[in-house]
Amino acid sequence: MAALAILRRDLLRYWRNPIRTALLFAVPLVMAGVFALAFGGGEGDQISIKILLFDEDDSLLSRFLEGAGDSSRSDQKFEVVAVGEEGYEMMERGEASALIHLPVGFTADYLDGEPTTIGVVKNPSERFLPKVVDEGVRIGAVGLSEASQVFRAELAQMGELGREKRFPADLAVADLSAGVNHKLGDLERFLFPPVVTLESVSLRTEGEEAKGGGFNILAYVLPGFSIIGILFLAQSATRDILRDRESGLLRHLLTAPVSVNDYLGGKCLSVFAVTALGFAVFLFLGIAAGIHWGPATAVISLMLSSALAAAGLLILIMSLVGSERQGDTLTTIIILVSSMLGGAFMPVSQMPSFLKPISAATLVYWSTEGFSTLIIRGGGLADIVLNLVVLTVAGLILMLLGALILKRKIERGAV
Amino acid sequence: MISVDGLRKSFGSLVAVDDVSFEVSEGQIFGLLGPNGAGKTTTINMICGVLKPDGGRVVIGDKDIWLEPKTVKQTLGVVPQEIAVYEDLTARDNLNFWGSLYGLSGGELKSRVDQSLTRVGLSDRAGDRVKEFSGGMKRRLNLCMGLLHHPRVLLLDEPTVGIDPQARFNILEVVREVAAGGTTVLYTTHYMDEAQELCDRIAIIDHGKILTVGTLNELTRLAGEAEVLRITGDFEDPAIRERLNALDGVRVLKADDRIAVLSVDAGGPGLLAVLPQVLVPDLGVDDVSIQQPNLQSVFISLTGKELRD
Repeated sequence: MAALAILRRDLLRYWRNPIRTALLFAVPLVMAGVFALAFGGGEGDQISIKILLFDEDDSLLSRFLEGAGDSSRSDQKFEVVAVGEEGYEMMERGEASALIHLPVGFTADYLDGEPTTIGVVKNPSERFLPKVVDEGVRIGAVGLSEASQVFRAELAQMGELGREKRFPADLAVADLSAGVNHKLGDLERFLFPPVVTLESVSLRTEGEEAKGGGFNILAYVLPGFSIIGILFLAQSATRDILRDRESGLLRHLLTAPVSVNDYLGGKCLSVFAVTALGFAVFLFLGIAAGIHWGPATAVISLMLSSALAAAGLLILIMSLVGSERQGDTLTTIIILVSSMLGGAFMPVSQMPSFLKPISAATLVYWSTEGFSTLIIRGGGLADIVLNLVVLTVAGLILMLLGALILKRKIERGAV
Repeated sequence: MISVDGLRKSFGSLVAVDDVSFEVSEGQIFGLLGPNGAGKTTTINMICGVLKPDGGRVVIGDKDIWLEPKTVKQTLGVVPQEIAVYEDLTARDNLNFWGSLYGLSGGELKSRVDQSLTRVGLSDRAGDRVKEFSGGMKRRLNLCMGLLHHPRVLLLDEPTVGIDPQARFNILEVVREVAAGGTTVLYTTHYMDEAQELCDRIAIIDHGKILTVGTLNELTRLAGEAEVLRITGDFEDPAIRERLNALDGVRVLKADDRIAVLSVDAGGPGLLAVLPQVLVPDLGVDDVSIQQPNLQSVFISLTGKELRD
């Protein structure tokens, strides 16, 4: 009864202090947001490169190149906008990643085998996207050059046909077609089958496939930052135990019909509840940001066991320190170090091999790995059983140990 | 109602409370008067079951607090020396929480909260967060929390420290009202005037020991039913102090380089005969004040020092 009253009071204190409570959530959310913005945002694979095409040639070949940006796969990646001279002004204003300039006579020169140039103007304020365009155009230019070498005669013939005022004769077209066909026949053994093929696979869960969603950077960073967030929430909730001791509130509380066990039971319950509720907030924010966390039972179990582990860890640390200031310093160090080692900031797979065994010794690791299994690898409850056991058992042991140490301190008169 | 018998508590080599015993009857206001560090708070912490004594016994009603803590604590109201309230909650939130610890709920809790807030003059600030309160208002809320569940025994540990005279007056009034309603009150203070005004019986405590217990009249009789002369001057010369000691019908309670406190014996020659002896020029007296016998003189006569020392 008293334990529940203490739980109710602690939750009320968060409710009465919305700004303080919001700030507790703000830090991990801002960090996750910054990561998401820096590494791609949360809009799936809809990164689009805007390219301005200044086509002064307006010929068949230039229209063919222009059309290359309209294929069903590339239309998600590139937005090709036909422009005139004003394209240069648009580039000055930074309105596109790059401008491609096809000069007058480009097609004719190409067909005649004369040197010609494709101009690329890059946006200096962007780092990666203009390079993509630049490299793409370079590859295209090499392809065109090679084609010009191989099909020199046929291209020259095409140029002649194009310059004639009348519609090409059937015989001339057939002759051209046969020439191209022979060349391709000769090349076939060099071109097909390709020795190396590229197979691109997007990591998506079933749900995302169904929704047509794609890569979401937040799915990689939010779980880690949520864990950091709940560790800081647990720190804030356990700090109250020290504050109660230092301010005389605990002494006053123990003058009421409240035993030390009641008090510690209430505080453990309250730290766990605050941490779990905090996790739930991150969970809902993640859903709002388009993250598919995985099967509900699995994610809720992992959330609760992670909250228990966080509460247990923080209660134990706070039981060992002598003052609120000591507690704040020590817990902040432990939270940051275990978050870094446990993969909350960066995936454990990216860490040096000597750190990996140390990483597995942190509770953060078991939590982040569990979320990765659910979100990234599309696993279910059965795949995270070990994570759940480790987090729950460790959480309970740490919490019990912390509560016993605190009880001893309180009964010895250290209140 | 309260029976304290042979309480002892040490912290390392420091003996904080040394064989303290006293009894408080039902409805009585009992004062524990002593300077800071005398052992008042340690005594009250042991009485309310927060600090385990090294020895001795505390019985409230007919129950030992250390044997039946929850039952006894249900009848106790404690107002600690520290302002023990949650500053980020409202006054009403604090009282609701406190009341729920004593099993109060629903309409009863609400009416008790309203009643208590009105009693200490905080009903118009019930919904404000405590961090916006003045020190005096926080003290009144602290008192409110101790009274909410209508305790049979109220323990107050220096409840008026650091507050303005109006808030102090309000608190003392509430304590009188509560006692008039039959609640037994144990009140610790180092303010002599508070103990004099408020308490039916007073125990004087110093260095962890009870020096004496009695009503105000009984205690002042200890000082010899005599007036007290407080003289200031230059008493650095031991010869002058010896002359003070040799005065007829006078007992020197305290004498240092600047101040001497003399008790004029009731059965002696009297104040009018003593004054001319004190005011002789070669004694170097600058100023004389005459005091009626009070707890200050009792304390001086028992300890050789003033209460504020």
